[in-house]
Amino acid sequence: MSRKIIETRLEEHLITEKPYYLASGKEIEIALSAHKNGLPLLLKGPTGCGKTRFMQFLAWKLGRPLITVSCHDDLSTSDLVGRFLIRSGEAVWADGPLTLAVRSGAICYLDEIVEARKDTTVVIHPLADDRRELPVEKLGELLSAPPEFMISVSYNPGYQSVLKDLKPSTRQRFVAISFDYPNPEMEAEIVCKEAGVDKKLADSLVKLAGMTRSLKESGLAEGASTRLLIQTGQLIQDGIDVHTACRAALIEPLSDDPELLAALQEMVSSVF
Amino acid sequence: MKLALFTERFYDLVAPDIPNEWDVEEVLDPLIDESDLVCEAILGHIPVIWPVSHSLCYDFLRLLPKTLQHLSLEQIPHWIGITLDCYETDGLRAAQRFMQDDIENYLKKLKGSGGLPLASIERKLLPYIRGVARNELQLKQGKTCYTDTTSIFVPEELRFSTNNDVNFLLYKLILTFQWGFMACKSFINRAPSGFSHIECDEDTLWIRAYLASFEEPLLARDIFHCLESFRVRIFLTQELPGLMRAAEKHIFPQLLLKSQKHPLNSLQQALIKDEAELFTLLTSNLTDRECEKYISGEASSCDSAEITAKLFRTLFQKDVEYLPIITLPFQGTLKLQAIETAKKIQEQKMGEQFADMMASYLLTLSKKELGELHEQDKRDSGNQGLAESDISMIMDSEFSGNTEQEKDAPILVSINNEQLEMPVELEEFTKSFLDEFGHLPAHFLSSAAGKAGQAMLEQEVSGPADNSTQPKSTLSYDEWDYRRQGYRKSWCSLHFKDLPPIRTQFIQNTLAKYHGLTIRLRHQFEMMRSQERFVKRQREGDDIDFDALVESISDSRAGISSSDRLFIRLKRDERDIAVVFLVDMSNSTAGWVNNALKESLVLMAEAMAVLGDRYAIYGFSGMRRSRCELFHVKHLAEPYGEQVKERISSIVPSEYTRMGPPIRHATELLKDIDAKVRIIITLTDGKPEDYDDYKGKYAIEDTRHALLEAKTADIHPFCITIDHKAREYMKHMYGPANYIFIDNVRKLPQRIPEIYRVLTS
Ligand SMILES: Nc1ncnc2c1ncn2[C@@H]1O[C@H](COP(=O)(O)OP(=O)(O)OP(=O)(O)O)[C@@H](O)[C@H]1O
Ligand SMILES: [Mg+2]
Repeated sequence: MSRKIIETRLEEHLITEKPYYLASGKEIEIALSAHKNGLPLLLKGPTGCGKTRFMQFLAWKLGRPLITVSCHDDLSTSDLVGRFLIRSGEAVWADGPLTLAVRSGAICYLDEIVEARKDTTVVIHPLADDRRELPVEKLGELLSAPPEFMISVSYNPGYQSVLKDLKPSTRQRFVAISFDYPNPEMEAEIVCKEAGVDKKLADSLVKLAGMTRSLKESGLAEGASTRLLIQTGQLIQDGIDVHTACRAALIEPLSDDPELLAALQEMVSSVF
Repeated sequence: MKLALFTERFYDLVAPDIPNEWDVEEVLDPLIDESDLVCEAILGHIPVIWPVSHSLCYDFLRLLPKTLQHLSLEQIPHWIGITLDCYETDGLRAAQRFMQDDIENYLKKLKGSGGLPLASIERKLLPYIRGVARNELQLKQGKTCYTDTTSIFVPEELRFSTNNDVNFLLYKLILTFQWGFMACKSFINRAPSGFSHIECDEDTLWIRAYLASFEEPLLARDIFHCLESFRVRIFLTQELPGLMRAAEKHIFPQLLLKSQKHPLNSLQQALIKDEAELFTLLTSNLTDRECEKYISGEASSCDSAEITAKLFRTLFQKDVEYLPIITLPFQGTLKLQAIETAKKIQEQKMGEQFADMMASYLLTLSKKELGELHEQDKRDSGNQGLAESDISMIMDSEFSGNTEQEKDAPILVSINNEQLEMPVELEEFTKSFLDEFGHLPAHFLSSAAGKAGQAMLEQEVSGPADNSTQPKSTLSYDEWDYRRQGYRKSWCSLHFKDLPPIRTQFIQNTLAKYHGLTIRLRHQFEMMRSQERFVKRQREGDDIDFDALVESISDSRAGISSSDRLFIRLKRDERDIAVVFLVDMSNSTAGWVNNALKESLVLMAEAMAVLGDRYAIYGFSGMRRSRCELFHVKHLAEPYGEQVKERISSIVPSEYTRMGPPIRHATELLKDIDAKVRIIITLTDGKPEDYDDYKGKYAIEDTRHALLEAKTADIHPFCITIDHKAREYMKHMYGPANYIFIDNVRKLPQRIPEIYRVLTS
């Protein structure tokens, strides 16, 4: 019996243009070495601090396609591994992103892994240890990952819900890189570059972000991310006045607490 | 309302207390002529005040006729709130005085007839300044404005303008300006190069010694303060231009009017002029080059120190008495001594922390490096262990942190003449300490040695507790001793106790008081339960799962066995959660806290009833390791019924807070429970502490360890605390994101169910 396999175009996942990424530590070296040694990668860090961008850069650097899966509640094993489809009366197999990555020696990035259910995430276990293999039960195949293949997952440890913690058995398979917001000079450089704003404005935005990030104990779990700064910069660049842009893109997304919002607003009016 | 009925209702509300009838009638009698509406409202307040203080409650009623002349019924709850705050912070007398005499003041404040009270904007200002300063500054009330570098002191109220927006701006400016002195490093700690001729001991801020060395220290201080204010002004204009623009517009013009006849007047006025006029004002005192340095923001506090000396020579008049200048409101006063005191406290705190860390480090060495010496020592002198002087330690004292190289150089410590490198954590800490204080006082080193020696001694003496005589209702638990990095075996005895169920109105009152909230919570919890979602790939269901069907057809075409899970079903997410609530019953919770905790439990239980999560409630307290107590309120499997309610009502403050044993017990309980998620939630009001040596670092480390044990067993610990000083150690004990701090006890009943909701959804 013949089994047709749907070919997926891999080129789409290849990153040809060098993504802009400013390294803040030894993360690139570590990741390259992990890749060389066939070790899986765990990226931890607050939202919007450059994890996704880092993966894009890494994939570019390694010249491998980057296959990203955003994890969610409903993600099933079939969604990752693959399934049969019917094409003109015939059953054809379509690889899931994980299988595709293993076959082609690509980099598979599971974003926000804690969002996926635990019975789904177990499929990565044999890939993440030294077996480096993926059983595709429906095909009766056991795929061995080529040396170029790499699996990488991200998660944000700031969550409070205990339901969304990473199991130690999962966690301890990875080489972990901890991300944080870049230092002020670098962050300003990033904001300049990404939002196209001038240095002075970028500096002020970064200063503001720094202020919001020191409010953990006052009830603000996460301060403004690099992403928020870039977005604020973009609004300003589009002609929206600074105060309005900050309010809409920087402050309001952070909290609903009226007193905190008021305090944040005061910071804005002091800085600008 | 008839007196008899009134009294009867009163008794219902305060049961099981049975107050003297005569007292009750005396205070209620003057109120019987009030309308039923008023009487009901009055009665509604009794459960709020009575449990906190009986005498306060009598006073409240006694003064009511007078109070009602001034306040409307709607205003009374808020007024009671303030009274209780007053009681909790300053005691009964203060609260009585407030009720008796302060109604008019209270009303004035309420109406804002005066200026802007700090209290009304504190919750907005505090996060503001903490954000700007990027550290945990405190905001405190003071007669004058100043900072001691850990707190900023501001007046209780500002009446600068009739417009409260301007008053707010001034508050903001004051805070920011005071922080500016810190950011600009005005409070010079050590002698800058070229100034070494001023004598100054280690505990004195160099700048204070310097200013004191002038013939007229007050003049020198004023000059320096003025120059530094100027630097701060320039710094803020660069750093926070928005604030300074607003100040230039709304605040400075009003200050300009207050020109003084004073030699420093023109220098001070320069602070509030715009840039054009600035220069002329400054040049009357400074050279052009100096002016430029200041205006460009390149001047340092050392420049100010130098120029102070120069200006002093021209301004000082020998035979005229110097009258200090009146500073501008945002400048505040320079209180260098307060800074020294704050530094001292800080140094002591960090030093003790250092000693603790060092001691733990020493204990890890004990076997190898110190052991031999220890043995020998014993043989030589028959000593029972290491006394303070037995471990001699020298720290590499070359470090001054001035150059980059020095910063990176490892700090070495010589112990008994052998050089050792310190572990990273300790080294980092030492460096930051040296950075902050310049030197490490020797007594912290010897105290570390002493602590280590003491711990080694105890290690030898203390065997496991004798548990042969313990009754059945007792379990023993190990306790973690961080100094020896090991357990003290069977160190604590945990006794199980029953709370006597008492019949009171507590539950009813609580439910009545929070009627709206209860309904809302129930509703919210209901939503959590009925988190419905479609689950795919079911054997049976309400609808066909097309994805699965297609897959199954494809599978069978492909010749492999196809699945029969082809349906979608609407499924309620099963909440498979088991929780143990541990309630702090230490005596520090007496009064309002205990009451709020109990109220929270009632609301929690009501809401949980909808949810179906399994939960247990235990109170804990006790005294010494031999008598830790666990009070049963509700077991996991027990339904929430009358008995449980009565036990919640009878939770009373008892003794101390030894956190380890109850947490370990809860872990043991949950270990055997089959649930997807298992949680221990601790409700406390402060640090773990017992009567014996279970205190400070020891207690914190043991608690932390107990929590780690829970985590290892895949149980999630979480803490809800209302300790104002909790911040530093909570993170260490529970780990980030595993605790929450509630700063307003009154919000507790509302917040706890909310937190639970967030935690488990
Ligand atoms: N080091 C960096 N170099 C270049 N750009 C960066 C860097 N850090 C952050 N950015 C910018 O910030 C944006 C957000 O980063 P990114 O999307 O990678 O965040 P993330 O960590 O993946 O966030 P999330 O956890 O929310 O997915 C990027 O689009 C990029 O513009
Ligand atoms: Mg991302």
